[in-house]
Formats: sequence, structure tokens, C-alpha cells
Amino acid sequence: MPTLTIDNRPVTVPDGTKVITAAEQLGIMIPRFCYHPALGSVGACRVCAVGFKEGPIKGVEMSCMVDAQEGMVVATDDPDAVDLRKHVIELLMLHHPHDCPVCDEGGHCLLQDMTISGGHGRRRYAGAKRTHLDQDLGPLVQHEMNRCIQCYRCSRFYQQFCGYRDLGVTGIGTRVYFGRSEPGTLESPFSGNLTDICPTGVYTDKPSRFYGRRWDYERAPSVCIHCSLGCSLTVSARYRKAVRHEARFNAQVNGHFICDRGRYAYAYASQPERPRDALIAGRPATLAQAATQMSERLAAIEKGTGPDGIALMGSARSSLETQALLARLHSEKGWRTPCFSADDAATRVVSSALNTLNATNTIALTEIEGADTVLLVGADPIGEAPMLALALRQAQRDGSRIITVDPRPVTLPCAHDHIAVSGDDLATAVAHLIIGALEPSREIALDADQQDRFKTLKQETRDIPAAAELRAIGHALTTAWRPAFVCGTTVPDPDVPPLMGLLQALVQTSCMWSGLFFPLPGANTFGAHCLGGSDALFEPLLAAVEAGQVKALVVVENDLFSEYPDQQRLAAALESLELLVVMDCVPSAITARADIFLPTQTIYEAGGHYLNNEGRLQVATPVIAGGLSIMDTGGGNHPPREFREDIPGGTPRPAWQYVAGLATGETDPPDVKPLLDEALTAGVADGERVSLPSASREWPSIERIGAGPEGDAGGLTLIESAATFGSEPLAAFSTVLAELTPLFGVTVHSETAQRLGWRAGDRIVIPDSAPALEVVVTLDDRAAPGVLLVPRRIGIDRTALRRYMAHLLAE
Amino acid sequence: MGRMTVAELERIKTEHAERMAFTDKTYLLLCGGTGCHATGSLKVKDALLDALEQAELGATVDVIETGCNGFCAMGPILVVHPGDIFYQKLKVKDMAEVVQSHLVEGKPVERLLYKDPAAKKRIPVQSDIPFFAHQMPRALRNKGIIDPEQIDDYIARDGYRGAARALLELGPDDIIEEMKISGMRGRGGAGFPTGMKWAFAKASPSDLKYVLCNADEGDPGAFMDRSILEADPHAVLEGMVIAAKAIDAHKGYIYARTEYPLAIKRLDLAIRQATEYGLLGEDIFGSGFGFEIEIYQGAGAFVCGEETALMRSIEGRRGMPRPRPPFPAHKGLWEKPTILNNVETFANVPQIVRKGGAWYASVGTDTSKGTKVFAISGDVNNIGLVEVPMGTSLRSIIYDIGGGIPKKRKFKAVQLGGPSGGCVPEAHLDTPVDFEAIAKVGAIMGSGGVIVMDENTCMVDMARFFMDFIQEESCGKCTPCREGTRRQLQILEKICNGDGEPGDIDTLEALSDTIRETALCGLGQTGPNPVLSTLRYFRDEFEAHIHEKRCPAKRCVSLLSFEVDTEKCTKCGACYRACPVDAVEWKKKELARIDLEKCIQCMTCFDKCRFDAIY
Ligand SMILES: Cc1cc2nc3c(=O)[nH]c(=O)nc-3n(C[C@H](O)[C@H](O)[C@H](O)COP(=O)(O)O)c2cc1C
Ligand code: SF4
Ligand code: SF4
Ligand code: FES
Repeated sequence: MPTLTIDNRPVTVPDGTKVITAAEQLGIMIPRFCYHPALGSVGACRVCAVGFKEGPIKGVEMSCMVDAQEGMVVATDDPDAVDLRKHVIELLMLHHPHDCPVCDEGGHCLLQDMTISGGHGRRRYAGAKRTHLDQDLGPLVQHEMNRCIQCYRCSRFYQQFCGYRDLGVTGIGTRVYFGRSEPGTLESPFSGNLTDICPTGVYTDKPSRFYGRRWDYERAPSVCIHCSLGCSLTVSARYRKAVRHEARFNAQVNGHFICDRGRYAYAYASQPERPRDALIAGRPATLAQAATQMSERLAAIEKGTGPDGIALMGSARSSLETQALLARLHSEKGWRTPCFSADDAATRVVSSALNTLNATNTIALTEIEGADTVLLVGADPIGEAPMLALALRQAQRDGSRIITVDPRPVTLPCAHDHIAVSGDDLATAVAHLIIGALEPSREIALDADQQDRFKTLKQETRDIPAAAELRAIGHALTTAWRPAFVCGTTVPDPDVPPLMGLLQALVQTSCMWSGLFFPLPGANTFGAHCLGGSDALFEPLLAAVEAGQVKALVVVENDLFSEYPDQQRLAAALESLELLVVMDCVPSAITARADIFLPTQTIYEAGGHYLNNEGRLQVATPVIAGGLSIMDTGGGNHPPREFREDIPGGTPRPAWQYVAGLATGETDPPDVKPLLDEALTAGVADGERVSLPSASREWPSIERIGAGPEGDAGGLTLIESAATFGSEPLAAFSTVLAELTPLFGVTVHSETAQRLGWRAGDRIVIPDSAPALEVVVTLDDRAAPGVLLVPRRIGIDRTALRRYMAHLLAE
Repeated sequence: MGRMTVAELERIKTEHAERMAFTDKTYLLLCGGTGCHATGSLKVKDALLDALEQAELGATVDVIETGCNGFCAMGPILVVHPGDIFYQKLKVKDMAEVVQSHLVEGKPVERLLYKDPAAKKRIPVQSDIPFFAHQMPRALRNKGIIDPEQIDDYIARDGYRGAARALLELGPDDIIEEMKISGMRGRGGAGFPTGMKWAFAKASPSDLKYVLCNADEGDPGAFMDRSILEADPHAVLEGMVIAAKAIDAHKGYIYARTEYPLAIKRLDLAIRQATEYGLLGEDIFGSGFGFEIEIYQGAGAFVCGEETALMRSIEGRRGMPRPRPPFPAHKGLWEKPTILNNVETFANVPQIVRKGGAWYASVGTDTSKGTKVFAISGDVNNIGLVEVPMGTSLRSIIYDIGGGIPKKRKFKAVQLGGPSGGCVPEAHLDTPVDFEAIAKVGAIMGSGGVIVMDENTCMVDMARFFMDFIQEESCGKCTPCREGTRRQLQILEKICNGDGEPGDIDTLEALSDTIRETALCGLGQTGPNPVLSTLRYFRDEFEAHIHEKRCPAKRCVSLLSFEVDTEKCTKCGACYRACPVDAVEWKKKELARIDLEKCIQCMTCFDKCRFDAIY
């Protein structure tokens, strides 16, 4: 921990800290372009020069290249250094097009700031400027190469940090060019970060082009709700419209970056189709009318059937506020326990996973970057939790071994070992890992009871093709120093997470650090688990509806049709209800069927609390008040030519308010912290992790590791799994992301394809599908044989797909 | 063949003793360097073999294709042993005569012998020719003698005896000590003491270490390393084995530019032969020590000769330098301790270890020991490759060896160290070849490129040429080098075009300061040298261009009027005869006149006029 003096002020920093970072700790911002905390130093731009007056180094040096050392005396205002900085910035500006008035970076441009702070205000060069051709990089990122100052941040980020190769640097000397070998859509799902890291306007946010300057925007810290990781965002809005997400630094969760799904998902909030008015029987009504009618009709039903006749359906995308009030509605009124997902299989895995987590074995996303081995079972990061893939890449760059065990051909932007194991075999696979970890050479102190159990485990575990490989990996895990264990919660069965927990607990005894990381199906799945009826399943609810026991269903921010596979059955059940109340901010298959519809606010208007996949409590601040964008009401003219007292389109209220209206009628947002305290019996602060009560710390069930797969061995399994684009219900409304969503396709092992008579590129028309569904066949031998992998996609006729599957199986 | 032993080396040497002494047969040593290949030596060789066959001399005469002889300007070259008779500028049609007259009749062919321009007489014996007489071959000791494609030839000249000593008799510290005693300093340009470099790498603990050889040779006008590789590839391999032993490395790479196909071919062959003999690979000489070498071909970027860029390039990444520290001796190739030395540095190592550091240090100056190879080019009579003891004066290199300036012109300056170096004017020509002495006059020893310039050279234009090279080859990583050198080039172009303005020299100097102070690697840090050193000695030429719009050397086309000075014109008509487009009007005993409509400004007449009458 050296202490050094910078501009006459002492500062003590950890070993290995660069002088430029040490200065930041004193609030001194030394000019920089190429240095970026996530990308490190390369010493390219040469503007961070400072004077070293005393100590081990003397003279003018680049502050991003020099490690802080004891006794250093640094002057950032050393005249020589100031002079050199000024000249270097002048050189950087030689070719700059001076197009700041029409540059979207203007106002938050590092180059603008540094040019002025560096003291270069007057142009002396009058010669010709070097120019470049720009490229079309797809719908997300705008390219304007002439503004480049060659800091190499983009190429370092894109290639080294993210592991994608289609954008980089070519040429030498003044001909260096940052772009693709030819124009085309960027392949990385992290490409939007280019707009954040480029210190000038070479890469700017394309969808929000020419919309405003940074100071025009209303900006607020928020949370990404487009997967369970909960990355930190800054939302920018203007004219009552959210128009940009930027990554907000979060040392525990996302670091400096976010994925493109999260960055470009906001369009749903201002889409023209957004339902903004209350509806009764499909006809517009005032909010008061709809709310009153809702209360009255629910009260009437309650009178007839008792509280059991009313069921509540929440979702994983609602805020904790909404989820908590739904749960309270149940406790106060005795209505059925709210159910938060129509995908029971996932709910079962989630609860067994979260019952495995506790205060000591949970790890944060950025901690994975420091792991030396990461084992992923039934998890496909790029589709389910994209930023996890980036964390894995950082681990791998640092020498970590990454192992994926999955029926799907998991691809990652880094080297990894993949072991294809069919979905039914995942639990058995983990059992083999455990057995490997318990090889005789390992000294684990086991008590007699444990020894017995392991003996049974060894006997019970059936052989699977990859057994030997898995055992070797299990054995290798015991020599790791910092292993991390990742387990998905949509593909594996409920036995897998607890077995992973067991494996982690075993390995924990011999390593320095280890932990569990479970990506969850939705942004607030963790919240639903904590506050709602974590065990409330949808199937019994549906049965109760069909049996006429449930007469009224209140659905809050959930499109059941995208979660529940049997569309016809669901439709018929809903049809049989006396009352279907739907509250949502997006149009869906279910909003159209509502007897009473109440429009809800989005996260941009309502804000709210969310628990991410590790249970971290995070807050989204409201950014805008709501209402139709002035750009829309005025047809582009400002001010709008319609004068009224309220804000047009401003009807929606936060979902929790409607729910509250059914019970106590409060109008202020509920304080979720006491509610969480109640549920979890422990206090929690924003940004911190809640700890779940260690519910079941029991020996995990080992039923499935012995039993063979269901059905015949040569069977086919359909796996619908989350894809980067097109699967998440809100982001799916983004038109720019729709451009990036690949054709709907099925991926199979070539053996399976042969059995089915399929060839790569075949298009299979699914019979009787509405809308008509065509599936493109892709072969990938990294998939487990027998698996038919399709992406989860909103609006696809899943019933027809399943019917077709059943038909294939029957043949 | 199995494992190599010292006895076996000795046996090979004895077996080839007569061949090396040229006592068993007549040997025709035909230069097979790239220079002679270019002037047609391969065809000459065919003709020679044909002639020998016809004369039925196959049994008593051997033709050997050697590496570069050094006297490239005289190629194709043939040396006949015994006798050391030097034939130059051979043509296919000469070969029958050489065979008939020299080999059959015993009479050397007079007209094909070297003719000394000063004494105006033929000198038959190679070692009597001034170009060779003043040299001291050490790194080049085998050039023109051995067949570089025969490992036995190398062994017969005590090859691999240094490696044997290093592996069987010396410890790493002894080797490093020997290198330190020799005073060897890196021949790649910077002159860093080799022994010290190895000591650092030896002291860095690591499971893996690397030995790299820098055969990138990117300086314009330099071909020392290429010639060594073509003439004596095993010397470099042996040097690397010794270095590997000193630092405990087991893997080496030779980074050679793809533009050196012959050098790469011979290296590749040498590596295969050495591996077959057990001189590379596992358990060399039964010492338990193993080392292997791979060739990595560079694509020809100048900056890839810089050590950190070179290592990135071998790693398969973009060849861009990174700041030091960490130094390669601690973190080099793949972040492992690595030493990188120049081809010539390695070529000297075997002898140093075999004969001892003190032997090597017996010649040279206080701080610069041994010999140095130079590639002389430009406006000098004897263009070629020379090796002289340190301390030799520049004047001796240019006049005694180089034979002075052609066409009776005056010497103006000599550029040392390529684009990173500087020029030395007449006044400093007695400067000895010594790292410090050369630096004192504003140039650098560099890797050994010597470009001689006569009075017709415009120094502003010369600075422009080197600046063009620098800015073209800047890797583009750091701002001052990428933008600053280009800015300097633009100013120099402006001055040469006659658009120079009063503040230009100041701007050039200010830019030079910024670039030198802030550039990341050696390329940028030394980039302004051509500007600074020409400004130091030839500032008046800059000023003439800027203020008087005049190019004193008459090279900058924009500043010339293509008119004939009636006072100076002697009416000789040389310009009239030379003009390729008949733009000169002249009749006997009349003044010449140039028709500017027809003139294409090729400047042929300027070169032809001996009275400086065209301006
Ligand atoms: C721009 C640049 C180009 C260089 N090119 C070469 C080269 O072509 N060959 C070479 O041996 N050294 C070259 N060097 C020097 C090397 O970086 C390094 O110092 C040298 O190879 C070390 O070997 P030595 O100690 O034997 O001289 C170059 C340096 C710079 C800065
Ligand atoms: S494009 Fe932007 S990030 Fe990339 S090098 Fe240029 S200025 Fe830097
Ligand atoms: S000085 Fe030139 S060659 Fe060296 S790193 Fe900078 S740009 Fe590249
Ligand atoms: S920030 Fe230090 S050189 Fe660019």
C-alpha cells in the first residue's frame, strides 16, 4: 500500500494501482483517452503525461503506465507535462472534422472536454484532413470514423474484452481504421457498449440519433429488467419518452457494461400499441369506472364463492412493490395465494435453487471474473443472462477453465470445454461430478452419516456416456482455488441445483473461495420467491378454473400465453371465468380477453425495487411522469396543438396502486423494506443482498440420478430456451432488436437429424399453426443427441409446435 | 545420425580439412547471395557447370555456391581457390573462357578481374583488393568460403564447438561472464550489453523462457543480417543454443521477414540439418539440455523489428509495441522471460564462447568492442557488405573500403542508422565507429546501414525521404508518432515544394520535441532524428528553401527553373544529347536552351551538365 503525493496531497493506494487511478481517488481527473479501468493501460494516446518530481521515477511520464510507488511526488500541473499534453491534443485534433454541432456525442464527449482542459483552443493546422469511409454497422450503432482519435478502446473492448472478431483495427500509421472488414451488422451482443466507451463520436447510439444533447435528457439511475442479473443502467428520456439506456457502473453486478438486449429494450414503453386506457369489456372507460367495477364484481364473486373463488397471478417482471401487495392481498383478503409464473417446471427448479442459496454460498456476477474454474450446468449465458458470458470471458482471459454441461450446444465468447448431456441426465451428471470430487485421493472429513450417503450416491448413480469425463472434472475441481458453480433454472430439473449446492459445499472444504450462481428466468423471480407463494403452481390454479372453483382471475403484468405451452387449454379456461382482470403496460394475447383492463405504468414512470438473481435489492428511479410523448401527440410539432388539463395518455398507474386499491386503497408506494424484513426476517439495504432463510439444508433428493430418462432411450426432447433476442417479453417489442433476431429455427445433433430425415437448412412447415410457423433446421454436434432446441419466442404457436413434436415421437 | 559428440565434430572437421584449405581440388566459389542472384548468378552457374562438363573437369573441380561475398556491386562474383582469384561482373558467355583459360590453361582471364579505379590496374587476388584488405571478418568469417547449405562445411570451420563448450563445460553464469568480458553490445541498434541482457533473463524465474532472434531488418538500405543468414546460418543457430543454455530456455524463434526467401530457405535447411545431427532438439551433446528453434515469418512492417511488437507478432497479434517496463527479460513472449538479440549479435556468440571473451575484446575501442558489419550504399564506388574493427574511422570505411565518391563529385554527408539515425558531415568524418562517439555527432551506430550522399543530395529532400518512411511505418498506436511524424512530413514536403514559410523550422523543432518526449517506442522517439540532424548540420539549406526559394543541391523540382545559365554554359551539348524528349535546343558552339513546353522535368540534363550551368 504505497503512499504518494499528487498535487501536494497524499494518497495511499493498493499495490499495482496506476498513478492515473490514484489521482482519481483524490478527485483529480488526469486527461486520458486510451486508458479505461475495464480495459487497462496501453499507453497509446499519450495525453495523461504528468511530471514526476521526487521518488523512484523522475521526469515526464504517462500516468496510466506507471504504478504508484512509495514516496512518489507527482505534479499534474508540471509545465513540461502541461505543454506536452497540449501538443498531443493538438495532434489528435488535426484531422477531427469539427462537426460537433451534428455529433450525438456532443455534450458528453471526452474529446471535447479534454481539448479544452488540455489547453488546445486554437487551431493552427490549415492543411487537408485525412478522411475515412464510414460503415453501416447495423441497427444499433452509428459509425463516423472521421472523429476517431485512435485510442484503441473499441478494438480492445470488442476483441479482447468481449471475444468477438468482426470489429477491430486495420492499417498502420495514419491509415489505422476501426471497423469491420466490410460493412455489416455487428455480431457481438455487447456491441452497444462501443457507444459508451468510445471517447468521441465514432460510435453513437443509433436508435436515439439526433434526439437530444445529454443535458436535454431527463436522466435517472435504473435497473435493467430484461434478465435476472439486474445490471445497473442510466435511463435517458426526453419529451416523455425513454430513448436511451447506458451502462451504469456497478462493482458487484455488471461492472462498466451491459448487453444489447438491456440497452435497446426500452421501446415497449413508448410503442404506439401500448395500452394507455382502461377498458371494460374491450370498450374504453375511465380509470375510476374500471376500478370501481373491478372492486364491485370481485366483491360479488367473493360473496358467492368465498375468497377461494378469486385467484391472483403476478409475474417476474413486476416490481417488488407490486409483488408484495399481491401477496398482502392474499393474506388480508384470503384470496388464493398469488402465483407468479405459468411455467411450473421453472418454478419448481427456481424454488429448489433458491432453497440451496444462503448467505455464505452466494456469489455476485463480478466475483465470477475472479474464479479459476467455472462449472456451468444447464445454463446458456448468452441467451439467459448475457452479461454472465462476459464475466466468464474475463475469468477465462485470466486463465480460468470454463466447463459447460448442457443438452444445448452452449456457445460462449471464450474457450470452454463442453460436455453434451441430455436434459434428463443433468442430475446424474452432477452426481458423477460429486463422485469424481470424492475420489480416494481426496481427503474430505466425512462423518459416518455422510459417508453412508455418499456410498448410496455412488451405488445409485447410473452410468451415462460422459461419466468418466465428468468424474475427471469433478476430481479436478478439488484442486481449484477459486471455483464457481453456475446452474440454470429453466433446463435442468429441480434436483440439479441442490446437487450443485452439495458439490460446492464439498469443494469448499479444500479451496480458498467458491460459490453458487443461479441465473433465474425473470428479472424479479427472486422477489416472487421471497414475497409471493414461492410454491404456488399454475397447473392447480388452471385446474381450479376449469373445475369452476375459481371464478375470477386477476392477472398482473403477465402474458400467460407466452409462458403456458397449451394455448387452447388456457384460452378455454380463461373463457370459462366469470371475471378476468388484466393489468399491464404492453399489449398481449391476454389483454385482449380481459373483462376489465387497467393500464399500468412502466419502470420509467413507476420506478420500483427488484431483487436480482443473487438476491441483491436494487432500485429503479422514475425518469418520466408518464403520458404520450410530445413527439407523438404533436405529430412532431411542439407544443402539441391539443389543449387539455391532463397529460394525454397519462392514465396508467403503477400496478401496485391498483392492487392496493383492492385492499387498503393506499396511494403512496409501499415501503418494500419492512415487507422484505417480514418475509425474510432480516434487514436489507439498497444494493445489498437479502439472505434467504436457510429453508431446506437437507440432503438433496437422488431419485433422478438413478432412474433412467423418461420414455424410451431414443426419445426426442423439445427444449425451448431463452435466446439473446426475441425471448424476453418486454425487449421483444423493440423493433431494432427484432432486426437482430434470427429466423426461428431448430438446432439438432446430426444423428438426430438423420433419424428424422432432416438436413441443414431444411424448412419445416408446422402443420395447423397460427400464425403459420416455419422452422429452419440447423445442425450442431455439440448438442446432446435427441434434443430439439428452439428459442423461446413470443407470439409463436407453441401448441402446434408441441403437437408436431408429439407426432414425430409417435413415428 | 544419432547424438553428436565433440569427437564426431572433430572427425567431420578432419574429413573436410583439405576442402577448407582448398588443397585437394580446385574450388570455384560462386556467390549465391541475393545480390548476385539478382544480377544473374544462377544462370552463370549453369553456364559454368556446362563448361566444366565439356572440359571434363568434373572430378578435379568443385563448384560451391556460397553466401553473400560482400562486394555486391561487382556481382556475379566467382572466387577461384587455390589462389584466391577474384572474378567480377560475370556473364553467361564468359564462363567457357574462364574454364578454358584459367582451369585448363592456368591463365586467369585478365579482363574479368577486379580493376582498381585509383591505381587503374587489375588486382587478381581477392585479399589484395582494398575493399577486402581493410576488413576484419568475424561475424562474416565463413562468408564466401563455406557452402551455407552444408552443415559439415560449418563444422569443418570449428562450428558448434562453442555450443559444445557451453553445454558441456560451462555453467550459465560462466557463459554470461564470457559475454560480459567480450564487451559485446547488441548489434540491432541500441547497443545494449548482451551479457547484461542475458543475466537479467537468467535471473527471472519462470517455467518457460524464450530466445528470439531478430531477423526483421527493416532499415532501408540495410542487408547485413540477410547476408549473414544467407552465408552462415548455423552461426546464428549456434549462438541461440548458447544463449538458451545461459538463460535456461528450451524454445527459440527466429523472426525473419518474408521478403528474405533465400535466408529463410537456408535457415530452414540449417535447422533441419542441425536437428538431424542432434545439435538442436533434445539432449544436445548428451548434456541433458534441449533446445528447438522455429522460424516465424514477419509480414514486413518496420515496427515489428521493435522488440515488444515483434513478440506480439509472434503471438499472432497485431504487431504493436507496448511500453516498457516490464522488460522482455521479465515479461516477453507470452509474458514469459525472453531475450531478443539481433542476427549479427548471435553470429558472434559462438566464437566468443569458443575463443573467450578476451579474444573478442582484443579489438575495438574502450566502450565498443569487436567488429561491426556495415552495409554501404548510396553515392559510393564500392557498394557492399563490410566488417571492420570498432574504432575504424568513417572516412576509412567510405574511402579505403568504399572507394570514395563516384563521378568525381564531392562528399556531402553519410547517413548512419537508417531512418532512426542521423547524418554526419565531412567535418566529422574522422569519427571512429564507436557507439558513444557516433552518438556525440548526432547519429547512431544503428544496425549498420551506411548511406553515402554526394554534393548533389538535397538534405531537406533527404529528411523528407526518411520522414516519409517513418510516418508510413508508424504502427499508428501512439498519437505523437502517428500524427506528429505525418505533420513533419507535410511541412518538409511544403518546404521542398517551395511553399515554406518563416515559422516552419520552429514548428518542425517543436514537433520534434513533442514526438521525442511522448512517443511510446523507439520508432517514434527517434522518428524526428532525420529532421534534427539535418537541421543541425544543414540548417542553411532549409533556410535557402524557405527564404530564397532555392534548392542549393538542385534536387527539389519545384524550386528549379530548368533554364541554362548563359555565363556558365560551355556549349558542350551534353544536355542536348541526354534529354530523352528533345527539349534541349543546341547547336555546335552555341548556348543550350531548354524548351519548357517540351521539358518533363526529369532532371537528366542536371546530372549530365558538368559545369553546373542548368538551374
Ligand atoms: C522501430 C524499431 C525497429 C527495429 N528493427 C530492428 C531490426 O530490424 N532488427 C534488429 O535486430 N533490431 C531492431 N530493432 C531493435 C530491437 O528492438 C532490439 O533492440 C534488438 O533486436 C535487440 O537485439 P540486440 O541487443 O542484439 O541489438 C528495432 C527497434 C525499433 C525501435
Ligand atoms: S473509434 Fe473511438 S474507441 Fe475506437 S479508437 Fe477511435 S476514438 Fe477510440
Ligand atoms: S512510436 Fe510510432 S511505432 Fe511506436 S508505438 Fe507509437 S505509433 Fe507505434
Ligand atoms: S491514457 Fe495514458 S497514454 Fe492514453
